[in-house]
Amino acid sequence: MTHRYVVGGCGIALMAFGGSLLVAQPEPWRVVLWLASGVLVHDGLLAPLVIAIAALAAAAGVRLRGVARAALIVAGSLTVIALPPLLRPGGVANATVLPLDYPRNWLVAMAAVTVIWAGYAGVRACVRRAARRRPDRR
Amino acid sequence: MGFMRITPPSGPPITFTGRLHDARTATVLGRLLGLAIAVCFATGVLSHCLQHPPAWLADRLPSRPYWGYRLTQGLHVASGIAAIPLLPAKLWAVYPRLFTWPPVRSVRHALERLSVAVLVAAGIFELFTGLLNTFQWYPWPFSFVPVHYAVAWLLLGALLLHIAVQWPRIRDHFTRRSPGTLALPAADGPDRRRLLAAVVAGAGAATLTTVGQSVTALGPLDLFGPRSPDHGPQGLPVNRTAAAARVTEASLTGWRLTVAGPRPYSLTLDELRAMPQYEVTLPLACVEGWSKSARWTGVRVRDLLDRAGGGPDARCRVVSLEAAGAYRVMDMGRLYAQDPLTLLALGLNGEVLSLDHGYPARIIAPNRPGVLQTKWVGRLEVS
Ligand code: HEM
Repeated sequence: MTHRYVVGGCGIALMAFGGSLLVAQPEPWRVVLWLASGVLVHDGLLAPLVIAIAALAAAAGVRLRGVARAALIVAGSLTVIALPPLLRPGGVANATVLPLDYPRNWLVAMAAVTVIWAGYAGVRACVRRAARRRPDRR
Repeated sequence: MGFMRITPPSGPPITFTGRLHDARTATVLGRLLGLAIAVCFATGVLSHCLQHPPAWLADRLPSRPYWGYRLTQGLHVASGIAAIPLLPAKLWAVYPRLFTWPPVRSVRHALERLSVAVLVAAGIFELFTGLLNTFQWYPWPFSFVPVHYAVAWLLLGALLLHIAVQWPRIRDHFTRRSPGTLALPAADGPDRRRLLAAVVAGAGAATLTTVGQSVTALGPLDLFGPRSPDHGPQGLPVNRTAAAARVTEASLTGWRLTVAGPRPYSLTLDELRAMPQYEVTLPLACVEGWSKSARWTGVRVRDLLDRAGGGPDARCRVVSLEAAGAYRVMDMGRLYAQDPLTLLALGLNGEVLSLDHGYPARIIAPNRPGVLQTKWVGRLEVS
């Protein structure tokens, strides 16, 4: 029990230190605005969107479980980290900054996820069909 | 997935009937996220100390292991990227708790919720600003380094407080056999494991497709990194070009290295080349996460300081020829200056240094941030 209070107290102290560093910045309210926007965009926009898509899929009879869900999560993760180089405006400092063909690489990544997903689902369907055809020897 | 039902406002306005919004899922994802954030914090504060050492520390900063900075900054960016899929997964798992009814039960409950808001805000902020910084994309109206540093402390503090507040639930769901886990519907177990495996696969995929910027052997998998080990003059990426630093071939005619100290002297490039030359293999490691090893040839800094009358404890100040820039003047602590691996390099990977890599002479020292590997050196001062 006391451990909890010690850890919590340390947490509050570190938060106070971080807060003091922030307040020492010129125009700290701009940072606060960006901090708050992140939560608002996530909680008010992105999370409801994901939940709504899942609900729509369920209403349409699409089961987003297992391998399909995993494929979507991996594709989503890759897309999120591909967004900065895909969307960044303006020129780069020199030719060694953002040197890759990011649109092509994103397509490659999505194709790879699709192929692995389809392959896995296909193999699993075959295994199941084979198991069903084979008489149960136990 | 979470299905929502809107009910009349007498009870909670929104309830969730989807599966896996439970404390076991929150605990397992929280453990991974907490680990990633702890690694980010430790490596970030380390880099902060290396870049801005307080006076009492400057001469104690170790120059070994020579790969230290490369490893820690590669880890910083890689674990930050791994956290990017983990954070939304964790927030998805606990999303129904946003609609806790009644929203506030007591002053203590209000403070708890406020601290959770700080935790989420700081977490999203650090991952977002950190990722964009590696792409040299700065859409915000404040300076990145001090703000990212300040919010790091805010995040670590909020995380410790969160763990303290949630401790009973964390303990009850820590393992598969913990009492809280066993009390959850058994049918959710396999589904939860599949979900967690998918999130870990997402984090792994994001990491593998970017980490090639620091793990050269994984370069072929580098799909989304802002840098690639294959791109750069003389086999090495560049941060600040000669043009950006306003250093031109013409401005270098008649270049001499000036060494200040008890016995000051200056040397032409040919005189430098006539001194004992050494070859070292050291990485250039950037705070933005990319790094690559290279072969450097040149004169030991400690030989140059010796000749100017600096004793065995001499440290030095290095001044670049660039016209302006935050790193034009660089101070090097004793352990770096005296390390036999620390060179005033004249060559890179078997060629004369190119202008963008700091021709005619640049510093290369072990276990140090890239921005302190001063290019276009004009002056050394024993200090
Ligand atoms: C950046 C890191 C983290 C963030 C942003 C985060 C976020 C959250 C949020 C928003 C909640 C809901 C709180 C509420 O409304 O009461 C929550 C709950 C929870 N978190 Fe975390 N968390 C993080 C790290 C951790 C860690 C390291 C652990 C421990 C292993 C953890 C374990 C839990 C548990 C057990 C709950 C309760 C879930 C429930 O009762 O359903 N979290 N977290």
